[in-house]
Amino acid sequence: MTFRTKLFVLFMVALLLSVGVVAVGVTVVTRQAFQESNRAHSEALVAQFEREFERHKQDIVHRVQGIADAEATVRMAIDLSRPKSDVSVYVNDARGVSQSHQLDFLDFAGDDGSIISSNEWPARFGYKIDWLTQPQDWASLGAFLMKVDAPDGPVLGLMSVSVVRVGDKNLYVLGGERLDKDFLASLVLPSGMRALLYMDLDPNFQAANLVDPSGPVLQADRFASFVEQERQQPATRTFKISWTPDASSAESFHALPLLGRQGELLGALLVGNSQREVVLLERRILLLAAGVAAMGLLFGLILSWWGAARVTRPVRKLSEGARQVSEGNWGTRVNVRGRNEIGQLALAFNRMTEQLSEQRERLVQAERVAAWRELARRLAHELKNPLFPLQTTVENLQRAKEQSPEQFDEVFRESTGILLSEIENLKKIVGRFSDFAKMPQPEFAPVNLNDTVRGVVKLFESQFGAVGRPPITSELHLDEEPPTIQADEALVRRAIENLVLNAMDAMPAGGVLMLRTTHQNGEVDLEVSDTGTGLTPEECDRLFTPYYTTKHHGTGLGLAIVQSVVSDHGGRISVESEAGVGTSFHIHLPAKPPVRSTSAPVEAAIAEGA
Amino acid sequence: MKRRLSVLLVAISTGLAVGSYSEAAQRPRYGGTLRVEIGAVVNSIDPSTPAASPEEAAAKEEICSLLYERRNSDGTFAGVAGSGAFRIAEWEPGKHLTLEANPDYRGGRAFVDSVEIEMGKTSRDRLLDLEVGKTDFAEIPPEEVRRASDASVRVSASRPDELLSIVFTAGRPLAEDAHAREALARSIDRAAIANFILQKEGEATGGLLPQWSSGTAFLFPPAVDATAAKSLWTQIAGSPRILLGYDANDSLEQSVAERIVVNARDVGIDVAAAAKQGLATNYDATLVRFRLTSPHPAMALARLAAALAPLTGANVDPLAEEAPPQRVYDYERALVNSYRIVPLIWLPRAYGLSLRVRNWNVPAPGEGWPFADVWLGDAQ
Repeated sequence: MTFRTKLFVLFMVALLLSVGVVAVGVTVVTRQAFQESNRAHSEALVAQFEREFERHKQDIVHRVQGIADAEATVRMAIDLSRPKSDVSVYVNDARGVSQSHQLDFLDFAGDDGSIISSNEWPARFGYKIDWLTQPQDWASLGAFLMKVDAPDGPVLGLMSVSVVRVGDKNLYVLGGERLDKDFLASLVLPSGMRALLYMDLDPNFQAANLVDPSGPVLQADRFASFVEQERQQPATRTFKISWTPDASSAESFHALPLLGRQGELLGALLVGNSQREVVLLERRILLLAAGVAAMGLLFGLILSWWGAARVTRPVRKLSEGARQVSEGNWGTRVNVRGRNEIGQLALAFNRMTEQLSEQRERLVQAERVAAWRELARRLAHELKNPLFPLQTTVENLQRAKEQSPEQFDEVFRESTGILLSEIENLKKIVGRFSDFAKMPQPEFAPVNLNDTVRGVVKLFESQFGAVGRPPITSELHLDEEPPTIQADEALVRRAIENLVLNAMDAMPAGGVLMLRTTHQNGEVDLEVSDTGTGLTPEECDRLFTPYYTTKHHGTGLGLAIVQSVVSDHGGRISVESEAGVGTSFHIHLPAKPPVRSTSAPVEAAIAEGA
Repeated sequence: MKRRLSVLLVAISTGLAVGSYSEAAQRPRYGGTLRVEIGAVVNSIDPSTPAASPEEAAAKEEICSLLYERRNSDGTFAGVAGSGAFRIAEWEPGKHLTLEANPDYRGGRAFVDSVEIEMGKTSRDRLLDLEVGKTDFAEIPPEEVRRASDASVRVSASRPDELLSIVFTAGRPLAEDAHAREALARSIDRAAIANFILQKEGEATGGLLPQWSSGTAFLFPPAVDATAAKSLWTQIAGSPRILLGYDANDSLEQSVAERIVVNARDVGIDVAAAAKQGLATNYDATLVRFRLTSPHPAMALARLAAALAPLTGANVDPLAEEAPPQRVYDYERALVNSYRIVPLIWLPRAYGLSLRVRNWNVPAPGEGWPFADVWLGDAQ
């Protein structure tokens, strides 16, 4: 991943995080605001409902009181206050009176609580309502809830009691409305609100006991747990039901316990408030926020891409410059303007490459001088060795001519032999230097490295076991299927021969010479190892320097030639050695020699990268 | 004519006029149309065609008694339609029937020229029409008698001759349980039914014959025995419910059924009252009205037992219509103690009359409307 991409990703992540945090914050704040608003709205609706409910209670109280105050009722009370009054004549009165006063329940009860006339259950005349005669200030009690016995079973009623007192006799008027779907339908409720009634008439939750103004509630079982909570512990509580997976279908409910005169739970009013409008409004706001965030992200994406490109352009110039420097293009310069850190870095880079060029130039000159000095020292050393015998021999000839003319011929013959031998030695020295100077350019052709290795070993086989020297054992570990590489076999053979010769020189006491070939991805590796005396790390560092040798009679050109050959083939050579253990040379040769390319200008390379 | 004279003589001598009207001082007159309203809807006046409801059957029998000359011993009508005091002048089934006086009637021509019978009138409409003088004769349910009297309607009521009873249906498991039958019978407060629902226009009874007929009704007291009822009911396994059927068109039966439910529930008996639909065998028990067809106790009891036997499945020996009183009592006692028929109330027949109706005599059990003897005077 490029620096530009990383920077772009970083920008985007930062942008995403920022937008995300803002979006979440807006969402949370918006939701809290809506929830708060919705809660307040719901509470207002519930308060309105409670007022409406209270109004109904008052209305029932007034209607029952109206019946008690009616002339017919007073006449009935007067009649019933007389001894041996006939109560049977009033047995059907409750029905007509309740209809005229629009009451579902109406009972006239005598002084002992016996029912004289009942609208909801006419057949119950004569039975007593015991609680009616208990001391109670009915006027202050107002309307209350109770279970009313009806022919079809108990039902819930919102009841009120009025008492008509004549003399010491009471006539009780017990009237009220049935709490059912019709009662709910009569309530004036705000839009979006509905009221449900659960009548706690059975020991367990019964779906049929939950009604709304239209009748039994659909999916009533969804309320079971909440109603059960209310049954266990009557209290005002809220809960929410989602009718479908869509959140807009949710409905929040306020459960209001309906308690009787004794505080017993008789039912629960569930005031429902649809969340649809709130959810839809919240969704619209969130959608708008998401749109704005998406636009911001898109804008940020473009801006980040452009910004990353702009920020990384000088860095990439520097990177390309560094790469060219690494390839040896010491004169590379980067063109970065600006006074910021990147600009200063570019200036430093340019100064660095400038100094590197200058130092390299100085180093080359120094090395060149050192090389010439070494060459001169080596030449002097190499030439001085034969010159001393030459001088001694000539002096012996002169001394023999002057002091022993009779032996001169014999001395002359010996001396001329020595002179010729030393001169020949000098010619060899000069020839080796000449050969190094005349290293030819390789001529590439398909080469099987295994064949070359075998040829070299065969050449030296006789010397490995020569008489008078400790034997050297050769081991070949050749790749079974070596690839054919493009190389100059003569030069490669010469390099291998030099390595073998060095190995033999390193094993004066004999040892093992191992040659190994391997290949990978079409490239071959050659390892030449000996079990000789080994080299010190300092010697390893200078081993391939021309004219450097660790031997008394070496020219220091052998390994320099090897390195030159390997380099001309685009390969690499390295050495591993441990004193007293041995030395290993590793040569890596590519399948094909590299085509030496000219380094492109930094600006062009960056332009391509961009 | 001979009959007419005898009626006049009786009216004058015995002063059987209803209320304070001094009919004996007035001479009977011929002519006029007697306007009659009934609640039943009669779709056929052919005696051989079965009626759709007890109410229709009763009304049909009254009409036929006007059209036919006489009845056979088994209660069927003899002769042809129109051989009676009246014959059909206009007939619109289910709605309207106009009868005209038959001048060839063996018992003498009726005083009124015609009788117009309007059908399907509710008791409320009948009472209102009586109040405003729109009709001359209408049946009044016993429970409405008091209200009618309070409304200054001229009311004539017979002696109680219609028995309202619970009849257990043979074959139903609960009906076959003697404990269940007796428990229900002992739980019912018949006096309250008579006093409140019937407004004291009926008689609570524990027997199958009225006191005025048998003279032994007091031996069948209608007392409530809640303790015994509870005890009997607890001996029944499980938690059974007695399904009690009543005639959907009969408000009195509905009120009585509801009261029975209340009484039964008070002692722990589970009774459900429902309007009858379909066969009576769908119910454990039903409310049944039986009108006496004879004032003679043996005859009345024999016919009652015979009429209800298909429903009760009681396998009792038939009672001879000439049986002595002891046999009648034993027979009645056996039926009552079986609790397959639980007598509740004796009901009177009540009629509302306009002020111009003269010479009205309440018909005895087994007799039809005596329209042939009625004549129309001034409304004052």
